[in-house]
Amino acid sequence: MNDVSNLKPAPEADSAATISAEMPAQEAESRATISADPPAQEPAPKADSPAKILAGAISNLEQKVTVRNLNFYYGDSLALKNVSLPLCAKKVTAFIGPSGCGKSTLLRVLNRMYDLYPKQRAEGEVLLDGVNILRPEQDLNLLRARVGMVFQKPTPFPMSIHDNIAFGLKLYEKLPKSELADRVEAALKRAALWDEVKDKLYASGLSLSGGQQQRLCIARTVALQPEVILLDEPCSALDPISTSKVEETIDELKENYTIAIVTHNMQQAARVSDHTAFMYLGELIEFGITAQVFTSPEKKQTQNYITGRFG
Amino acid sequence: MADNLAVDKIGLERAESRLAKSLAGFKLGDTVFHLLTLAAAWAVLILLGGVIASLVLGSMPAIKAFGLNFLSTEAWNPVTEKFGAMAPVYGTIVTSLIAMAIAVPSAMAIAIFLTELCPFTLRKPIGIAIELLAGIPSIIYGIWGLFVLAPFLQEHVEPGLIATFANVPVLSKLFAGPPYGIGVLTAGIILAVMVLPIVTSISRDVFETVSPVLKEAAYAVGCTTWEVIRSVVIPYTRVGLIGGVMLGLGRALGETMAVTFVIGNAHKIAPSLLAPGTTISATIANEFTEAVGDLYTSALIALGLILFVITFIILAISRYMLMRLHQQEGR
Repeated sequence: MNDVSNLKPAPEADSAATISAEMPAQEAESRATISADPPAQEPAPKADSPAKILAGAISNLEQKVTVRNLNFYYGDSLALKNVSLPLCAKKVTAFIGPSGCGKSTLLRVLNRMYDLYPKQRAEGEVLLDGVNILRPEQDLNLLRARVGMVFQKPTPFPMSIHDNIAFGLKLYEKLPKSELADRVEAALKRAALWDEVKDKLYASGLSLSGGQQQRLCIARTVALQPEVILLDEPCSALDPISTSKVEETIDELKENYTIAIVTHNMQQAARVSDHTAFMYLGELIEFGITAQVFTSPEKKQTQNYITGRFG
Repeated sequence: MADNLAVDKIGLERAESRLAKSLAGFKLGDTVFHLLTLAAAWAVLILLGGVIASLVLGSMPAIKAFGLNFLSTEAWNPVTEKFGAMAPVYGTIVTSLIAMAIAVPSAMAIAIFLTELCPFTLRKPIGIAIELLAGIPSIIYGIWGLFVLAPFLQEHVEPGLIATFANVPVLSKLFAGPPYGIGVLTAGIILAVMVLPIVTSISRDVFETVSPVLKEAAYAVGCTTWEVIRSVVIPYTRVGLIGGVMLGLGRALGETMAVTFVIGNAHKIAPSLLAPGTTISATIANEFTEAVGDLYTSALIALGLILFVITFIILAISRYMLMRLHQQEGR
């Protein structure tokens, strides 16, 4: 049985710099074969007992996205070093680690946002439902419809609240007006924003407060019914009340979507996520079930970071 | 002991007075600076007032002689001293509209290409080339228009336009008559070339203010580049774009030398764009030296006043539109 620990670098390599350099070839190979295994068809039964979660191997879960041996370059500098991990279907995966460790970069690979910039490139494989999205012929617009993204700063488009959401929908479908209104309403309800804006749907999206704008962006992403939602520090610009609303939203969303969230807030990661990946200097140091990572991390670095001793 | 204290006190007082002195110096400098900038600000207002006053005073004889009919009279006859501003006003507006109709879409296209699509290495050279266009003196555009563009249009473009639109109801009137080469259309094209760099570089600067995150957000919804530009970049920058267009229009309205070369300087309103015409500034430049008699001179100054008013109205409209936009956007 392939459990989580196989995904991690060799335990004896404790300094980040030596991990990739001294990684035994066999280890690397076995890592590749793990992720190459076809995702288990039967998703694990949901939360039977805490003990079972801890013991349960992530590889038993259905893998929506599988990252394999991913290297990422900004020009000549290597920003992600041989990263491999799964995003399990209908789970929330949190990415933690100090600034500049590659969390956001990894997220931007998953919807190929880096493609907008000529000097950035990725090597390796990212499988979405078993299909490599890094292949050149991948339709980017389609990919981004399937993999939605919410950014660190709220990014409402310069149009009304209604149009902010209808805009994305109209790109893909020709909907009659009434259905469009229904879809907009449903999306705003999902993002816990409907009650606050239902009386001013045609006001500018820019007139909302920061927290409302961010939930508008979440609504916009949800409206498209993507399969995967990427959240890049979605709460970093929000006050605690808005943050808790966004977290509630995330909690509801994971029933239907696969979610990846980058956060600097340890409590947030612990609260909202099922799995946690700790990254440092472009490498994946530890990946596992959140409760396990936070209570008994296997790596010293993870423990130091979580307890606030560095980073 | 007491002596020491006294000495210290004296020293302290000296230091204080030195400080006070230099502070007073600073204060003087501040006051002078304040007055200087205030004077500069007032000077602009006084100059503007002076220009308006002298324009109004200078055009008084013409206004007294013709009244409001000055605006609606087409005739311009120095011999009988019958003057009307309608032909130059018409020419000014029509040439500027042609110029904007050509320049604005091309300028937007260039700006979009430079900011969104152009490979990085080409951005600088193309941008610089366009800014150099703005540096060419207008007299050179005039010469080029007269010796190169006008003959080219006369031989290759205008006959084609006349033939093509001969049977189309409205357009046959717009493109009629003998192809002179010089005329309203040629002037409009020259103006378009002259206005292009301003509108392009302002639009480019304005497009560059759109934050990359906002564009990424639009791409993240699955937009194509065109959809990002149409639905996010342009709406976001509307205000700045309108400002750029208005600046270009201002230049087109007032441009003198190049237009004088190619417009034909005929004081009449012809329905055809190929016919010669005139503009306010071209008329003034052409006729000021040979204007004999107070009424003639005054009529020319009155033309200048009209140009001033037109430009003022356009600026006011653009201000008003920008204000409305701000209100609509609620920011």
